[in-house]
Amino acid sequence: MASQETPMAPENNGTSFRVLDPTATQSIATDGMAERPESLAGMRVGLLRNDKLNSEPLLDAIYDVLAERFDVSSAYRVNKGDASRPAEPEFLSDFSNEVDVALLANGD
Amino acid sequence: MTNEPRLTSNSIEVVSALEAIETYFEKGWSDGLPVVPPTPEAVSATLEAANLSPDAILGIEPVKGAVITAEKAAINAVMAGCKPEYMPVVAAAVDAITAPEFNLHGITVSTMGAAILLVINGPIAKELEINSGVSAFGPGHRANATIGRAIRLIVMNVLGTRSDDGLDKATLGHPGKYTWCIAENERALPDNWEPMHVTRGLGESESSVTVFSGLSGAQFGDHASNTPEGILDSFAERIYPLGLGVHEVILAICPEHAAHFDEAGWTKQQIGQYLFDTVRKPESEWVPNGLPSGIKNGGEGVISSLQSPESVIPIVVGGDGGAWSAVIPTWSLGSRSKAVTRKIQSNG
Repeated sequence: MASQETPMAPENNGTSFRVLDPTATQSIATDGMAERPESLAGMRVGLLRNDKLNSEPLLDAIYDVLAERFDVSSAYRVNKGDASRPAEPEFLSDFSNEVDVALLANGD
Repeated sequence: MTNEPRLTSNSIEVVSALEAIETYFEKGWSDGLPVVPPTPEAVSATLEAANLSPDAILGIEPVKGAVITAEKAAINAVMAGCKPEYMPVVAAAVDAITAPEFNLHGITVSTMGAAILLVINGPIAKELEINSGVSAFGPGHRANATIGRAIRLIVMNVLGTRSDDGLDKATLGHPGKYTWCIAENERALPDNWEPMHVTRGLGESESSVTVFSGLSGAQFGDHASNTPEGILDSFAERIYPLGLGVHEVILAICPEHAAHFDEAGWTKQQIGQYLFDTVRKPESEWVPNGLPSGIKNGGEGVISSLQSPESVIPIVVGGDGGAWSAVIPTWSLGSRSKAVTRKIQSNG
């Protein structure tokens, strides 16, 4: 005998059931903003690019504006070399030793 | 009384499957398609099928340090429509995608928009009826559709890599981001070829999953060539547009083309060497494409698109009829994302 289809069950048949949350709470970095300098005068400006094609001209253009408006000391340019991975802590440590403030750019 | 670890995820009370489906849409927990409501009973059965404790860690995404537990993976597998017996494949795939060399964070957030291609090898493909034949990349096969979907839901829900309000910034995206899972057609392999997982270091009797950061493939028909050189020249025409610096590229070889390699007795190594020698032209003629080729200015040397003969990864896949193969590039041309193979742990 062929199976018989039955009408779809009503939306609520009086019983309930539980279903599980598929998401996970991931930790979020809690470090706050770095302390803001009161002035850029005499500051060494770090320009940290991420190896993307346009990151270098973008950072240079921003630095040109800063240099025109403020009495910054110098530019320090570095490339972290891989847009898809975070910079290594040692790389960032070396970078921070050379600069007082820093600009980062993606520049896709 | 039992000492078995318990499920710890938060739960929601619903009165019907339809209500659950709509709730998951509203919460942004779906991929845009309805999901199977993940009840504790279904999730427990899925974990049991893989002999996994809910708190087992299947992988840790290296950049964010995000943990993927067996419980969260199983919830998403149920939602994707997986049978419990698919869970060992899902678990091995999570292990594979979280290997540092796969660069999961990079490939899933990048504007390049890679999908995750799973290729299954070994006896489990037949046991689970994972399609490797007619329309292998197409719909209609539960294992293919739901295992691939489970991995995407895990990326979206557990890692938070979504395109609506999350980290996925793909410019175009890719339909394989819904699901992309095949098995290699081992039945159609040339006699002197081992299956891909054996080439990659596993035993023939073992089962494996290999993950690729796949971009859109270029399918082509070559019904005229009946020699390895002729067929590979057709492959070469689809590799040229990728430009320089191809570290890994998949050759999806259909059975009809594979048969010609078999007749000629060509090995996988010969295929790699032929393409490495063929896909080349003067450096100055390569069109700069902004990809990380490492070459900024065209010189006069004649150089290959491929980094080495081993840059091509041949797999045999598809139905017997028709001479349609494809070149499937990978994210960053494989320079910053490597294929990863993991053994699937049998629960038998």
